Amino acid sequence: MYEPKIVAYACTYCSYPGADLAGTSRIKYSPNVNIIRVLCSGRVSPELILRTFREGADGVLVLGCHFGDCHFINGNHRTAKRIPVLKGILEFSGIEPERLRLEWVSASEGERFAHLVDEFTETIRQLPSIKQVIR
Amino acid sequence: MNRLEPLRKVVDDALDKMDGVIALRKTSGLVAPYLFRDKEELDELTISPKYPTPAILRLIQTAHPEAKLGIVCRGCEERGLIEMAKRNQIDLERIRVIGLACTAEEAEECRCAKPYPSVLIDTHVGVRTEPVVNKLTEELRQKDMAERLEFWRSQFDKCIKCYGCRNACPQCFCPECTLENDLWVDAGKVPPPFPTFYLIRAMHTAGKCVGCRECELACPAHIPLTTLYTLIREEVGEMFGYEPGVDLEAQPPLVLPMEVES
Repeated sequence: MYEPKIVAYACTYCSYPGADLAGTSRIKYSPNVNIIRVLCSGRVSPELILRTFREGADGVLVLGCHFGDCHFINGNHRTAKRIPVLKGILEFSGIEPERLRLEWVSASEGERFAHLVDEFTETIRQLPSIKQVIR
Repeated sequence: MNRLEPLRKVVDDALDKMDGVIALRKTSGLVAPYLFRDKEELDELTISPKYPTPAILRLIQTAHPEAKLGIVCRGCEERGLIEMAKRNQIDLERIRVIGLACTAEEAEECRCAKPYPSVLIDTHVGVRTEPVVNKLTEELRQKDMAERLEFWRSQFDKCIKCYGCRNACPQCFCPECTLENDLWVDAGKVPPPFPTFYLIRAMHTAGKCVGCRECELACPAHIPLTTLYTLIREEVGEMFGYEPGVDLEAQPPLVLPMEVES
């Protein structure tokens, strides 16, 4: 069994404090995840996600604010539209769409963040390493 | 049925009212887009092979915004014009569209879902033929993940990174292209590492691609790009109920915020 590498893009205003809360609450979650803070989930462009895969991430989590909570009002709307399309593209070209997931995590959902990361890590563990897919 | 003579006549009429008409010209055996301004040159007017004339229209209109231009358009080219107009790349007020219906053979070759123009046109040449069902996309849908990956990998390995697909695309008009950015697509690597180049382009044309097949025709390596883009077009249609190039009023979904009940 291999240890998957997971990159989570968390937005500064909701998801990153959410991850922070998981840490300060001493909730254990999968150590496979590497969190990268971005200003908004809408900033996570498709090319950034594709490059993350190319650099060796087995899974990419995009975490943003719930609808209505976005600091930039509708930044997460763009993410919500973009990610499903990118997942479709990944599926058509033969890369498992499960490797990419979009979730909303608010600043108070530390437990949810930990649960999500654990669950996502298990999903990715079932898939082959990205190095076998993208050579 | 001969379409050339009627088309010549229509362009001849249009030249009375317009400053010029963009169409294809055949000189010394070579076909290229041309801005017809003189009626005597109309002997050299030709129809095929098809060429991305909407992109030429955009260039001429940018340089001469006041010019009144005509353009000979097939179904796909009209769809391209509609999408370009939505993104403020061309001014539909100043152009006159001369429609040209594709023959059944041409529609079959392009696997075209709408081989005739019908929205912008003032005049129409040729007989409207039936849409063609795209079998290639259906075949690809049946494949499993590993087969798809194998298929696309074998296709993309042929790429020589000539940027022909982007240059021919009527929907690629960004002044700065992501595909030329070293951050996303490694410079100096041929073929560009899978999946960056191809999937970035696929993502950027999602919701814009009208399936004109210009990228595929331009590709010297014969990569069936339209197949991938057709799948994405169907996906976007299912997700947002939006089909590029059909309706002038419908707004492109990927650039707009979502409608959320509060």
